[in-house]
Amino acid sequence: MSLAEGNELREVNETDLVDVGGAMAKWEHFPASAILHHGKPCCRVAREWIFSTDYSQLNGENPLTGPRWLRLKYKWGASVWPISWCEAVRQKTLDCGALASMANEVFVMRGVKSYPAQFIQQYTEEATRHWRESWTDGNASDHWIKDDLIYHEGCAVVVREGEIRLWDASAGWWMNPKQFGGYGGLVALRVFAPQAEFSWGAHRIAPGRWQRIQNERQGLALASAG
Amino acid sequence: MKIYISGLYSGTNPQPGIGVARSLRAAYPDATLVGVEYSNRCSGIHWADFDELWLQRPWDELNLDAYAAEIKEVLDAGALWISGVDLELMWLASVFPEGHRNLLTPSTMALRKISKPAVEAHVGLPVSIPTYISTETPDWELHAFCRQHGWKVWLKGPYYEAVRTASWDVFERVRTLLARAWSTERLFLQTHVSGYEESVCFSAYRGELAGAVYMRKRELTEEGKTWAGDVTEVPAEFVAPLKQMVRDLNWTGGAELEMVRDTGGLLWLLECNPRFPAWIYGSTIAGHNLPALLVESATGVPPARTQTPVSEEFTRVVLEVPVRSQFPLPSLPEPYPGGIGHSLKHPSGTLALAERLHKLHILESNGNGNGNGNGNGNGHHAEPDNVTATIPTVPSSFIADLGAFDFAEMETPSFLFLESTAAALFARAAGQAAKLTSETTKVTNAYSIKTNPDERLIKLALESNFLAEAISLLEVQKALKTGFKPEQVILNGPGKWWPQGLLPTSPIHAVFCDSLADLRRVVASVERKELQAKIVGVRLRTPTVGSRFGIPVYTPEELEKLVAAIGTLPTDSAFGIHFHMASSNIGVRQWWHLYESMLRWCRSIETLSGRRIECLDVGGGWFPDDWQTDSGDQFAAAVARARQFLPHVVQVISEPGKAMAQPSTALAMRLLELEESAEGEIKEAVVDGSIAELPMHFFQPHRILHRDSQTGEWRALGRGKTPLLGRLCMEHDIVAWNVELPEGASAGDLLVFCDAGAYDRSMSYVFGRG
Repeated sequence: MSLAEGNELREVNETDLVDVGGAMAKWEHFPASAILHHGKPCCRVAREWIFSTDYSQLNGENPLTGPRWLRLKYKWGASVWPISWCEAVRQKTLDCGALASMANEVFVMRGVKSYPAQFIQQYTEEATRHWRESWTDGNASDHWIKDDLIYHEGCAVVVREGEIRLWDASAGWWMNPKQFGGYGGLVALRVFAPQAEFSWGAHRIAPGRWQRIQNERQGLALASAG
Repeated sequence: MKIYISGLYSGTNPQPGIGVARSLRAAYPDATLVGVEYSNRCSGIHWADFDELWLQRPWDELNLDAYAAEIKEVLDAGALWISGVDLELMWLASVFPEGHRNLLTPSTMALRKISKPAVEAHVGLPVSIPTYISTETPDWELHAFCRQHGWKVWLKGPYYEAVRTASWDVFERVRTLLARAWSTERLFLQTHVSGYEESVCFSAYRGELAGAVYMRKRELTEEGKTWAGDVTEVPAEFVAPLKQMVRDLNWTGGAELEMVRDTGGLLWLLECNPRFPAWIYGSTIAGHNLPALLVESATGVPPARTQTPVSEEFTRVVLEVPVRSQFPLPSLPEPYPGGIGHSLKHPSGTLALAERLHKLHILESNGNGNGNGNGNGNGHHAEPDNVTATIPTVPSSFIADLGAFDFAEMETPSFLFLESTAAALFARAAGQAAKLTSETTKVTNAYSIKTNPDERLIKLALESNFLAEAISLLEVQKALKTGFKPEQVILNGPGKWWPQGLLPTSPIHAVFCDSLADLRRVVASVERKELQAKIVGVRLRTPTVGSRFGIPVYTPEELEKLVAAIGTLPTDSAFGIHFHMASSNIGVRQWWHLYESMLRWCRSIETLSGRRIECLDVGGGWFPDDWQTDSGDQFAAAVARARQFLPHVVQVISEPGKAMAQPSTALAMRLLELEESAEGEIKEAVVDGSIAELPMHFFQPHRILHRDSQTGEWRALGRGKTPLLGRLCMEHDIVAWNVELPEGASAGDLLVFCDAGAYDRSMSYVFGRG
């Protein structure tokens, strides 16, 4: 964000202005979402369909290819939890937890190491107010919203030994390891994995705990509009 | 300081002139920037950073010698020249073979070493070159290249333009357009690489790297051009080899290495542009003013203002700017009568420049014309011209079989059954099936009658232990009439019960249901004892397969219904699954992926239904060459994979389809009339054959033989300039677009179109015969 003061632009690190600490505390005890299995044919059919469809959709490409087809099949929106496989596959909309959980299982089924990942992202209060209303209308909990911050889920996909990429299953893209803060910026991350530490771009990620994501823009000099 | 900057086009596929001017203005506020353009239709001439404009007439009007002298005068007077037009800088390299201290463009040698598609200079960089093939190779091989790469290929012009050609007819059409546009047949096909686009942009002066940046495209236009990106330092592994490359090329000017990073992280070099990219001001925003570094290197004059980084990320917006009063907007050309749009592409006459430079042999000396041969990214440059390489190879058995015909008495057009060729194909298939059969799994071939219902082929199939695959009861009857027994017949397709009353009363080998309704009908027929089959199964239609056939499993509900329906199938028959997709349409690699995908679906169905899959029927639609090339280890591995996924499979049925039929029959036709140009070249020729006998002409090439009327010798025709026009009064009845008829060819000469034994034969139609 740039604040105009006279003829100068002053660069402000927005993450200093938002309550990232409060958000991490709010979602400290949030487990990563997991879809239930009824242990019956209904859920077996659902899972077989997901995995066979994924292989078809992969089209012979690299197994590290993001399963973007899930997002094409399911619109992002409110889900009512708990949710089972047989229910989830029949929905028109799924929330980030359900999409991330599905994507995670898909990666694992392909033979790729993938772990649940939790994100805290910054948007605007206008955006979060809108989402809060939509979720309330859908009888779903809005516990994932705090001021202009949101709780979000994805997958930490191991691309090489000790190195991960973050798949945002709701957006259908890989998150940029160079974070600049601001709208859509990732301010904190938690990965649930047994390994000691991962690298994500220039970041070192210690699994099992929330950690703030450093803003890349801090190293740049300030531009003058004068 | 005076700097001439060319390439001011600012449409949806912009040139870099504006970005270069903005960068230089930021660094050298007092410099005189002169915009150079060749059309007042290029909106960049109105950009305010230009102090002066040097507006030339379009390239087709320019007197190149006079223009060269004027540029020399400008350079001698101390002005610098930064070119933003590939063809212009190629021409400049020829005008100044020894270079000029103020001309900030690369030499002919450097341009030759970065010419597409091989980009010889890339050796040392951590990149690979996507596989490519010159379009000067025979159509037969080009079609094979496209199949091999799943039709995910781009047809590229020698300097600009790349068009995705997803089918043969599109390829032929685009090839004609590009060849005409760029005045050369020397185009190339290159495989598509999926991934994210990245660039390394650099500037250098006399072999010394002045600066470089790394850019990732973050937003793209529909044409794939940069709309937003982030700019950072060049990765460490790039720096040393880049410096070496610049040194080896003695590079002067800007340049951009355009690359794609695939999902596995590998970088593929698409091309090296010999100039700054249009997004160059994005680099300046990030604090790396490469045009200024180039000017500083050339002049020793440091920038008056140093660029401070504003943001690592940049994006574009659309701006309206005032038109310069001395260059009012030109009139809009009249749309062609009945045409759509105003045909404003290439307003500066770039195409005309390409044609002129070809005539002057300047592009050939830059290496852009020498695209013969093919490559796989090993960096070796193409082979020199080789006339014989453009002529397709025709199997000797074809020629031997043609010896059996008395052409003097033959009415044309006429299909020719190539007896020994056909027999050899069936014998090979039979041998292969026997070889692949194991104690646990029997491998059987099936002949698809619809591909070519010629009794001679059906008989060969019977003698070669094939099953007969029928899609109608009429086809079943034909198989029975030829000698097949009901237990050797497979019934398939959506209309298999047509016409009524012809179903054999004794058991057939297999029936595969094409829909759930069909499945219910089969169950009812079996219960009524009307139908008996050793195997009762289903044809599957999996996601991503564009097909109207088979039972879809696009949704979990459809899978659930299929699983439930399988539970109703008779238990005294074995259960099987059939899938079919023409590998010639989707490509060989895709087909094998589809096979693997099918095995997974089969396993899911077996697991969920509890019904053992004992028969797997695999339809291929194989192009003959692919089937023969891949018929060894890959088929053996496929059978092993089937056993691995489906342990109860006891029979794998392979339907090679047109791999059997296509080479077995050729089409003879005669030249009716030849039209010569004033120069004595054969402009076009009319034949008595037509697309009514070659309906597959739009989907695949045919190798063509010409028979010498004196010696009776056969000669395969290469690519030339003569279209062969069919006899029908239909505009699209052109059976070949570009062939080279031999000298002395005349009306009455015999031509034989090979590879016409599959759907050409079975789908040929009667038209214009009275």
